[in-house]
Amino acid sequence: MTKISTPTRPDYSAFAPDTKLREVKYGLPAEIRFCKRCVISNQRPNSSIEFKNAPNEHKKTINLDDDGICDACRVADQKADVDWAAREEELVELCARHRRTDGAYDCIIPGSGGKDSFYATHILKYKYGMHPLTVTWAPHIYTDWGWRNFQRWIHSGFDNQLFTPNGRVHRILTRLAMDKLLHPFQAFILGQKNLAPKQSILHDTPLVFFGENEAEYGNPQSDTSSAMRSRDYFTLKNKSEASLGGVPVEQLVQDFGIEEYELNPYLPANPDDVERIGTEVHYLGYYLKWHPQSCYYYAQEHGGFEPSPERTPGTYSKYNSIDDRIDDLHYYTTFMKFGIGRATYDAAQEIRSGDIDRDDGIALVRRFDGEYPERFLDEIFEYLSIGEDEFPDAYPLFEQPQMTREYFDALCDQNRSPHIWNYENGAWSLRNAVWHND
Amino acid sequence: MTSVRIIARLDVKAPYLIKGVHLEGLRKLGDPQTFAEKYYNDGIDEIIYIDSVASLYERNTIVDIVRHTAENVFIPITAGGGVRSVDDARELLRVGADKIAICTAALKTPSLISEIASTLGSQCMVLSVQAKSRADGGWEAYCDQGREHTGRDVLEWVREAEQLGAGEILLTSIDQEGTYRGFDLDLLRAVSSRVSIPVIASGGMGSVDHAGAAISAGGATAVAVAGFLHYEKSSVPEIRDGLRDLGHQVRVA
Repeated sequence: MTKISTPTRPDYSAFAPDTKLREVKYGLPAEIRFCKRCVISNQRPNSSIEFKNAPNEHKKTINLDDDGICDACRVADQKADVDWAAREEELVELCARHRRTDGAYDCIIPGSGGKDSFYATHILKYKYGMHPLTVTWAPHIYTDWGWRNFQRWIHSGFDNQLFTPNGRVHRILTRLAMDKLLHPFQAFILGQKNLAPKQSILHDTPLVFFGENEAEYGNPQSDTSSAMRSRDYFTLKNKSEASLGGVPVEQLVQDFGIEEYELNPYLPANPDDVERIGTEVHYLGYYLKWHPQSCYYYAQEHGGFEPSPERTPGTYSKYNSIDDRIDDLHYYTTFMKFGIGRATYDAAQEIRSGDIDRDDGIALVRRFDGEYPERFLDEIFEYLSIGEDEFPDAYPLFEQPQMTREYFDALCDQNRSPHIWNYENGAWSLRNAVWHND
Repeated sequence: MTSVRIIARLDVKAPYLIKGVHLEGLRKLGDPQTFAEKYYNDGIDEIIYIDSVASLYERNTIVDIVRHTAENVFIPITAGGGVRSVDDARELLRVGADKIAICTAALKTPSLISEIASTLGSQCMVLSVQAKSRADGGWEAYCDQGREHTGRDVLEWVREAEQLGAGEILLTSIDQEGTYRGFDLDLLRAVSSRVSIPVIASGGMGSVDHAGAAISAGGATAVAVAGFLHYEKSSVPEIRDGLRDLGHQVRVA
């Protein structure tokens, strides 16, 4: 195979302010628009089926309707009209159907011990009388507070299985996902989405609870009409069709020295097994009105959950998605590819939840979005570097196995889309930002 | 023996009274004016208004709220949040504030403390400190409502601020704030033994005993109460009577 080449800076002329013909990457909408209610832009991609994610995949993006309102805001509107008492009845019935009193687990709940999974597991056990097994797919590199929250969660009364993938495989897949997809979080997402359904098969426990539906954040509205997650996201008949880090499974085994069994944790469940067990993945957010901020209060009150000791780079918040050191990088890369950073995601959610107003959100996005993820950078570069001794097969496949700041910055620049980014006087800026029309 | 002051702390994100946990997850509670007037009528000694997002959003909104409150509330009002200059401070005093609390701007420009103290008087220069314990001991001063490190050691900072002319310290423990588990007594003790200006204990009040401990063990001369009152877990008379029962002198309402 050809070597993975060291990224070079793009042709800056494509990014000149006065360029008329602007290339559009990733199949994004050529005209950038912002939701009039929140701060999300129409460049936001929907959830990918990660094990099919290929370089330059054309993304489906969030829908903005004729009034300029995004699907996620419409979903938030619909939540106001939902008969939540009736939905809770449905939950009680669902629990009654699956509850076991023979000493076995009756549901599998994936989580990290963050505020949302804390809330979901705690309320299902202590209010709805379930007997959950919690399962955790380990972060790339735990933050200290993430680890402490994970421990607090377990100590608030849960059995937990922590699945920590092979560190070397995880590193090589994450490095490939950087080079091929600029997507350092992919290996985590893969494991996280597939782990619980597979544990359901292993433990012969059909009921799996996820927290919120992704439609809360912009997947098509039609996705919310069902309590259940589509099996497309976690099953695959023919494993050879899968790609990880943008590289087909077959090639990972042949060229990168990864053994087939080492890829199993990342691969989806076999649909025949899912059928046999009758695995059902339900969104608790369908049954209970989900409010992330209230989950924080709940987790703090019932488990002593602690927020991070400082805001996460690129945003203002301290309470969500704080357990993985690589998270900082993840949202920086979404800013590069789609012009949407962590503050945009956080503010959009809090606007929809009624916690902040749009003006607040715009101010926060303007101040924090796209901030350089300095905090854990050196450690992450080391994590992403391919050493010859550790990776004898993969090492020669990289023109530059070492991940450096220059490498990372060049990679980011390569992945910028000219329709989103201006380059002028040695500096990058957004062609359209939510605060421009403010 | 001077009376112990009971102070209602109202964090504001205009137009709402808000409250968080560890200064995070800010929840809207209603119209700050309504809360302020209720506490005033119940006999609170002072009120502190903090625009909790002024620094975060880089804007100022506290002036109108202070102006309206001062029309009906005739006790000392401390106002802060986003005060960056002597002019900002003067404007707040002009609309009815009695004291100015400064956190972020003072950390960025410590000379602002002496400028305000010399132009407007030390008595109105309240240093607001957002303190978080460090893993290796001691406390770090944060800014932007507990979101941003400054690297400043709290104990060094309060001494410097006192020398620059700060007249009072509003000492908030980020670790305890919003938890109702009591004040950070070690922090209070450490600060109050290093400065001679009054220290207001803030963050963590969940019982009258907590307030008593802040005064007798922590060396505070006043306690700031927020969620404990806002969520009606207690009331001003209950706290006042409770403190009196513990042997503290309180103002007769």
